[in-house]
Amino acid sequence: MTDRPANDDGFNRSAGRQLLLIAVVSVIGIVLLMLGLSWASGLAGGTRVSKGIDAATGTVTLALADEPPQLDSTRSTDTISSMVLGHVTEGLIRNGEGGELTPGVAERWKITDTSATFWLRADARWSDGKPVTAHDFVFAWRKAVDPKTASEYATILFAIKNAEAINKGRAPISSLGVQALGDNVLRVELVRPVPYFAKLMVFSTFRPIREDFFNATAGRYGADADMLLYNGPFTITRWVHGAQLRMEKNPYYWDKDRVKVKVLDFAYFSSDPNALINLYKDGKIAVAGLNQENLNEALVKRWPINRFQRGAVFYMEFNHRKDRPTTNLHLRRAIQLVIDPDEVVYRVIKLPGNLPGRSLFPVWLDGNQGKFREEYPATQVLPNAVEARRQLALAKKELGLETLPPLTLLSDDGALGDKMTEYFQETLRRELGLTIRIDKQIFKQRLAKMSAGDFDLVLGGWNPDYPDPLTFADLFASWNSNNRGRYNNPRLDQLVAVAQTSTDVQTRMDTFGEIQRILIEDPPMVPIYEPGVVYVVDPRLQGVVRRVAGFDPDYTNVSIVGK
Amino acid sequence: MVSSNPQTEPGLDDFAPLAVEQRRQQLSRPSLSYWQDAWIRLKANRRAIVSLYIVIALLLFTLLGPLVWRVDPSAQDLDQVSRAPGAERMVTLAAPYRPWNGETVLPGSRDLRLAYPANTQAVRMIWDPVPGASAYRIYRDIVPALAGEPLGLPIAQTLTGTETRYEDRLDLRAETYFYTVVALDAAGAEMGSRQALSVTPVAVITVAEARSRGLAPPSEPLNVGDKVRFKLHPLGTDYLGRDMLARLMHGARVSLFIGIVAPLLFVSFGVAYGSMAGFLGGRVDQIMMRFADFVIALPFLLFMILFKIAFGIGPGQSGILPMIVALVMLSWPGTARLVRGQILQVREEGYVSAARLLGARTNYLVMRHMIPNTLGVILVTLTFAVPSAIFTEAFLSFIGMGVAPPTPSWGGMSNEGIKSMLIHPHELLFPAILISITVLAFNLLGDGLRDALDAKMRSRE
Repeated sequence: MTDRPANDDGFNRSAGRQLLLIAVVSVIGIVLLMLGLSWASGLAGGTRVSKGIDAATGTVTLALADEPPQLDSTRSTDTISSMVLGHVTEGLIRNGEGGELTPGVAERWKITDTSATFWLRADARWSDGKPVTAHDFVFAWRKAVDPKTASEYATILFAIKNAEAINKGRAPISSLGVQALGDNVLRVELVRPVPYFAKLMVFSTFRPIREDFFNATAGRYGADADMLLYNGPFTITRWVHGAQLRMEKNPYYWDKDRVKVKVLDFAYFSSDPNALINLYKDGKIAVAGLNQENLNEALVKRWPINRFQRGAVFYMEFNHRKDRPTTNLHLRRAIQLVIDPDEVVYRVIKLPGNLPGRSLFPVWLDGNQGKFREEYPATQVLPNAVEARRQLALAKKELGLETLPPLTLLSDDGALGDKMTEYFQETLRRELGLTIRIDKQIFKQRLAKMSAGDFDLVLGGWNPDYPDPLTFADLFASWNSNNRGRYNNPRLDQLVAVAQTSTDVQTRMDTFGEIQRILIEDPPMVPIYEPGVVYVVDPRLQGVVRRVAGFDPDYTNVSIVGK
Repeated sequence: MVSSNPQTEPGLDDFAPLAVEQRRQQLSRPSLSYWQDAWIRLKANRRAIVSLYIVIALLLFTLLGPLVWRVDPSAQDLDQVSRAPGAERMVTLAAPYRPWNGETVLPGSRDLRLAYPANTQAVRMIWDPVPGASAYRIYRDIVPALAGEPLGLPIAQTLTGTETRYEDRLDLRAETYFYTVVALDAAGAEMGSRQALSVTPVAVITVAEARSRGLAPPSEPLNVGDKVRFKLHPLGTDYLGRDMLARLMHGARVSLFIGIVAPLLFVSFGVAYGSMAGFLGGRVDQIMMRFADFVIALPFLLFMILFKIAFGIGPGQSGILPMIVALVMLSWPGTARLVRGQILQVREEGYVSAARLLGARTNYLVMRHMIPNTLGVILVTLTFAVPSAIFTEAFLSFIGMGVAPPTPSWGGMSNEGIKSMLIHPHELLFPAILISITVLAFNLLGDGLRDALDAKMRSRE
């Protein structure tokens, strides 16, 4: 029999009412707590209430994709460090607004086949007021080739006498072919003619470092705002790791009239495009990149959209280590024949600014008179499934395999990572019946795995170090440490050696043209695209310079118009 | 002698046989077994029954769905990328794409004009040279720009001032585009001269593509200019043009497989472990339960990664097996604790002592008393473990630790969908809704089962 109390419903109802009351009270409590906390945080710091552009204080607030690992110019390798160093330090030569070479610390220079001489300006100063001298360059360059520094970019100095021997530990550091003739003259001895030596001087490894300051930092040089001496347009006044990097105009900079804003505040470290676009929308940052997802919003909101070709080339690289099937030329050609860079760019990436990859040499490189790619057009490999399958059959025969083992496609977790890898996985399965295993890693781990040879195919890329085709051409030379697939082609090595030493423009360009042909016929990689970026800039901010070689973006010339 | 009263002995008359009454003990309700009773209570719980139907529907969707909807979940169709359900499917057949060398087939000689009829393969345009131009910048917009407004998307820039043509192939759809060409001076600044054009490309695919996708019966001749229909995608397509419905069905396989197999395994292990500890009691119980406490403290994600390595699951291989192993090895203590508690309680009950006094064997005690009395708890743990396992799988796939592409899974699909949440909401909504519904249905069913199976609830009716 039912023994349920008669007032059961009533009991339920009152319990329900009580629960509702508790719920309402807790919601109100949480809201009050949040308000209180935000009020308290406003009391505590309050500095983070940023405005993208503050004309009154001359402040421009920006975002960085990540914070620089450290700012020692001899050891820095990444693009973010290079961008920050470009704002706070200056080398002998710098890039002007149009990308042309402009005097930096050096007033003038003379470069011959065997030497280079730089005359330094007398008014170049460090941020503590002391002059920048030729000794500072000698110290920094010696440090860069010092094997103890283990700089990844030491090779960029190898054109200087004894640099390679010092770096390999076979010569004393003092034997480096760089001399200070007094405080204001720097003389460099070269082992071979370097036609692009002036262009190299822009690169951050060639920046000066003052010895007494460096020694005073006791190994922490470049790790904090006060552990770095500045001679560029800006100084870092505040560096909260992981949160903020604030630059202020450097009063000791010799060309300080060029700098029109007082503060560049990198107040956000984020690479999440959606977060950045929201900050831009709220007027908290002045520049933000767009991705495919928020392009339409930018169009509807009538934001001024800019586009910039980064100058890099992205490609699918093959592993040429012994036991890998990708050593087989026919297999590589088969893959080359089914990859359609047009389809990748126009229908998978779908962002303007990207160009379909045709060659390892991007379109912006200069040739004899005009652009290199116009003078030496790359043969376009048109997708051809029938020929690809024929090549695959040949490859199987040569490898003695009935079916190919699964191939590992290494990639990193960049914004396009999943889309691209899944697209290639399906394309190679559909057209060639290959099984592709996707190995997604973070950027650093991808590089480590590439160096270890732990891949069959890898989606990689190359950013130019200096605006000369050689920065791309020597990439697959057998001695290059960045040739992580261990491609080895004696004919290519020969040509690279010619390009490195020849001073005749015509000979060099012909050589690059020949290298381009080899890279398509015996492919160490298949070019996929030349990446571009689409971004929005607050219309009040003028003079943002984007450039391919050297640091990017360049805010040293920006000015604020209107309010 | 005093005469005594005649003894009044009861006579036979005093006794009349009572009418034979055939009254036996009667049941006021039909006799019900434990299970029948539970089933009746479950049926009375509408939420639980609806959830049960949903669970059955999900199983049918997963197991029978792919037999009915025979679409390859990893087949990509770049012509139909991120289509919402019910998008336009009509498409015109066109000749295969050929690189353009600058020739024109359309009339017109002034301003920005089309060189070829515009279709979604390419929009080819040419324009008048502007004296003094060092290059041209081409803008594309989705609405006509008003005076002073930005011109839209800067899709390209020519390398030289002599190049007066451009071929746009960037993600063309059958929508109206507004093109503007602006000349750049030697310094790269925009000059005043602008030429504009509005174009609506026709949606096209090539005859070969139509054939290879089976858009028309093989017997039917196909010619350039004919119209065909794209394959139907009832729930739309994802970012690589893969059918959402097929992906959801196949994704459910992984989710439900892990969601059902892992809990079955770890609940049965937990039951065996917990009942042993509870039944044996004493020191053994202490040791066993402290070990269970230790296992609870182990971090799941770390072990998931360790197992993945220990199993030699290389990059790009599905981690279903290590996921199940990690789930089983780390999730059983919860069940074990519950069952042990229940057994400890039942062990001390009067009827168990009585059975023991009557000489019942351990076997009988366990089978007759212990297990039936803990079954409710066990079943409820199981139904609650299913949604949590499904959720774990979704979470792991979401962070990229679960199944490897191209195998779809709901968590992985949500992860991809969230990136384009604002423009293509269906890519996130469908997997997310399915995860939510599945988890909710299993939870409500578990709730209903707990009410139905709890033997103590019987006495309250």
